[in-house]
Order: sequence, then C-alpha cells, then structure tokens
Amino acid sequence: MSHNDERIAFDAVVVGAGLAGSAAAMMMAREGLNVALIERGQKPGGKNYFGGAIYTHAIADVLPDFMERRPPFERPVTEAGFWFLGENGMVRATVQGGELSKSPADAYTTLRAPFDLWWAEQAQQEGAFLIPKTTVVDFLRDQDGRVTGVLTDRPQGEIDAPIVIVCEGVNNLLTQKLGLISHDLEPAHMALAFKQLISLPMDTIQARFGLPDEDHGLAVSVLGDVSLGLPGMGFVYTNKSTVSVGLGVMLDTLVTYRLKPYEVLQRYLAHPAIAPLVEGGQLLEYGGHLIPEGGWGDMPQLYTDGALVAGDAAAMVNALHWEGTNMAIIAGKLAAETAIEAHRKGDFSARMLSGYQKRLQDGFILKDLKQYRNFSKFLEMHPEFMGTYPAFLNDALGQFFSAYGKPKKKLFEGIYGALTKRRSLFKAAGDIISMGRAVMGW
Amino acid sequence: MKRKDAFAAKQLPDDLAESLPDVYVDDLLVSIKYFVDEEQTHLSIKDDAVCARCQDKPCLYFCPVGVYTLDNEGKIQVAYQACVECGSCRVGCPYDNIEWVLPRGGFGVAYKFG
Repeated sequence: MSHNDERIAFDAVVVGAGLAGSAAAMMMAREGLNVALIERGQKPGGKNYFGGAIYTHAIADVLPDFMERRPPFERPVTEAGFWFLGENGMVRATVQGGELSKSPADAYTTLRAPFDLWWAEQAQQEGAFLIPKTTVVDFLRDQDGRVTGVLTDRPQGEIDAPIVIVCEGVNNLLTQKLGLISHDLEPAHMALAFKQLISLPMDTIQARFGLPDEDHGLAVSVLGDVSLGLPGMGFVYTNKSTVSVGLGVMLDTLVTYRLKPYEVLQRYLAHPAIAPLVEGGQLLEYGGHLIPEGGWGDMPQLYTDGALVAGDAAAMVNALHWEGTNMAIIAGKLAAETAIEAHRKGDFSARMLSGYQKRLQDGFILKDLKQYRNFSKFLEMHPEFMGTYPAFLNDALGQFFSAYGKPKKKLFEGIYGALTKRRSLFKAAGDIISMGRAVMGW
Repeated sequence: MKRKDAFAAKQLPDDLAESLPDVYVDDLLVSIKYFVDEEQTHLSIKDDAVCARCQDKPCLYFCPVGVYTLDNEGKIQVAYQACVECGSCRVGCPYDNIEWVLPRGGFGVAYKFG
C-alpha cells in the first residue's frame, strides 16, 4: 500500500553514480533541479573497474575548475602508444613529449574507486542527493506507459520523478525494461577486461618504465602474444605507486576457447618482456569488467517518454582509441541539458527528449561511433592484427638490428620471408585496406 | 541471445594451450573486497537439465573469478559470493541458462581501487 503523501519525489532521478551519472546529476543540480543520484554500491566507484586513464577534456566540460578541486589522479599520461609482443620479446611504438606534455595533461592514469567517489562528491556539492546502497529494479509508469520514476529495492522504494537518466552500465537490464533495446549485448561485441593492480615503490616504477619522476606516466595498449593471437588487447598503465596490467579479450573468444581469464593474464604477466617490469610487486587487487565494444550497431534508442540512457548502457565506447569514459561524461552532461530544457518547457515526452540525440550528433560522440561502426567486426574478421603482425614486427626489427655477418640482401630476404611465411603480400595489402576502411568508416 | 544449435567449443593449438599456467583463482580473490549477501543469491541456474546436456560447460572457464564449478555429481555449483557482477555469464552462457540479477543494494563486490 502506498501513501501518496509519503512518496519521495524529485525533479530528476539518475540511476548509477558512475562517470555518466554523476556528470548528469552535477549539471542538473547546478541548474537548481532537485536530483536523486541512486547508486547500488556501498559508495560510488565500488562497482567500477577499468584500465585506465581519464580524459580531462570531458572533466573540464562539466567542471572547468576541476584541477583546483584536487581530483584523485595518479599520473599524467606523458607517454602513450603500442607495445607489440612477440613470443619472447617486444617492439615498442610510443610517443612522449609534444602533445603529451601539456598541463593539465590530456589524460591521467586513474583508479576508479577513488575517482568515481570524488566525481560523485562534486555532484553532491552542487546539491544532488546521493542515495547509495540502493538498486533500481524497475520503473514507475503512468497509464500511458510514460516513465514517472523508479522502483528501488528499498522498503517503500518508489521514487517519483518526471525524468529518469539511466546510467546503469554495461549490463543494460533497465534499458531493456524501457524497451529501448530488445536484447542483451552479444558476446562477440563485448570485451571482458581483467587486470591485476600491482604495488611497486614509486622510484622502482620510474626506473623500470623510464619515467623521470612521479609527474610522468605511461599508458600503452599491448598487442600480439598477450592475447594468444586471439581477438584481444592488453594494457599497461603506470599509477603513482601501482601498475595496472591487464587485458581485454572478446567474450565470445573466451567462451568458445574455454579460456580462464586469470590464466591468460598470468601468462601475460610472465612474458619475458613484461615479467621484469612487475617483478617483486604485490597484488593489490584483481578484478574484471565487461566493455561494450559494439558501438554504433549496438546502441539502444537513447530516449523514451520520461527517460534517457547514457554511458556504457548505450554502448558509447570507441575501443581503438580507449575512449568511453569521456563519452560517458559528455553524454551524461548532454542528457542533463536535455532534462533541464524539458523542465523549462514542462514537457518530458520522447519528442522533447529527442533533443538529446541531436546534441550527441552535434558533438563527437555519435560522429565517432558511426565512423568506427565496423571496427569490432574488423577485429573479428582480422585476428592477424592480434597475432601475425605483432610477431612479424618483432622478427623484422630483430633481424634489421642484428649484424649477421651476411650480405644485407639476405637480411631483406629474411624480413620478407618473415612476413610471407605468415601472410601473403596480397592478403597483407588487403588487411591494410580493411583496417583503413574500418577506421575511416568507408 | 538464445542459441538454437548446440554449442561447440574450439581448441587452442597445443603449444598455446600448454603455455597457459595453472592459476589458483582463490589467490586472486583474496584481493577483492565484498559485502556478501548471506541471505540470498543473485545468481542461479535456471534449469539443471540444460547444464547436464551442455557438453563443454564453458562457464567453468570464462568466468573471471571462477564462480562456476562442478560438484562430485557433475552438477554446476554457483559461488555467487565471489561474483564481481561483470555480467559475462549472463550473456556468455550459450544456452541463456543463468538467472542473473543485480545484488541487493549495498551488497556484492566493493572494489577498493578499481
């Protein structure tokens, strides 16, 4: 039995105090809306897990004075790129300085438990009301089916609001309940990422990763032997006194080959080029999380009467460029702007809320997701970029920089052979064109 | 997505399969903080008969925290207490045979670092 006078009502409800959710709550509270920010964890951040790095352009978009608010960043990313693992060596292709020497940096390595907590605190400071330890299980609707609030797992857990912004994360149960997408995301379009957070003394990290001091940090994608040549990608991020080492492998690959993620990770950590970097370190935390890498083709409809969806729940991830956290923040902000306009006009219809889609199209998010729409399919069809080419690079450069005491003509024949024993020139040319098409969106 | 045809696992080439070390997953789990809901599970098998017919049982492998194990009678056991709520089993079970809901508010994994 519900007593109308006892019901809790807000101007807006945000489901999930992650990057998208707290950004949305922050923006709406700043405009004077009475906002409930509902988080199922003990506190914000407790359910989140990533590589990873946070991009400052997105933070600044919501919080221009963010640096004065002391975000719990680890290190600025001053060196970034790819490591290509061969069987027992590696080729490094990284960039440092230049674009990566700005202050504040474009990206900072970060740990999500402290960061998301800080991010939600900024929303609370703007006046958003955080409701932790509360799981949203369904929506309230009027007789016409329009969303009018949420049902939580608390006793008398109904919360009324004319607009709900769903930032539930990759497990899109509520988005499905809204009818915005008819199915779970597919294992072929999701990476299961898992990592070990390894503790090492700060000066050891600097010495091993070639960083001058604690104000320099490294972020790399690791390709090749790391994923046994299967569709997947490793990563290394240096934090202040920890190192995040992990990898993402397409979930359907793990399922089909019946791989134990922690064994694949242990094999990576034991690789001759990786083991010396983490030797003597203590495991601080292991964990895993799904990444929705399907992008454009996996996006739900983004709005309905009384509700909007942002972040991982809307498959806003650009896997090649490690982007997702920034998209979540910007999408949360744009959802909030739409909700603010809806309040101003007193209209929460799908038609009014379609302004969210328009805002996303005007910025980079939908443009990028559309351009990269074939990228996850490309990786599925071209596993050679995970196995063959990284191995070839190691062979080729290894031979190039060896003095065999033989005519150099033999050297180039050897390098040519290192490629063609793996992949014909004709196919290699086709692979490169396919990659271009996937990246350029042709 | 519901699968109509039978799931068939693929094998890695022998040299790759042999290059995978044995890892005792509990050594990793001790690093994860949980608020365990002692009263109710958020994971369960929908129909044991479906698991019994599933030849390859990939859930025994791909779960990143080893929630699914086989008991002496060949039945799948679900150690929901170790779950990190990633959702891999929810979408990865080839027969859509895992009932998966979010833990009650406040319960479940509570990453200290993330």
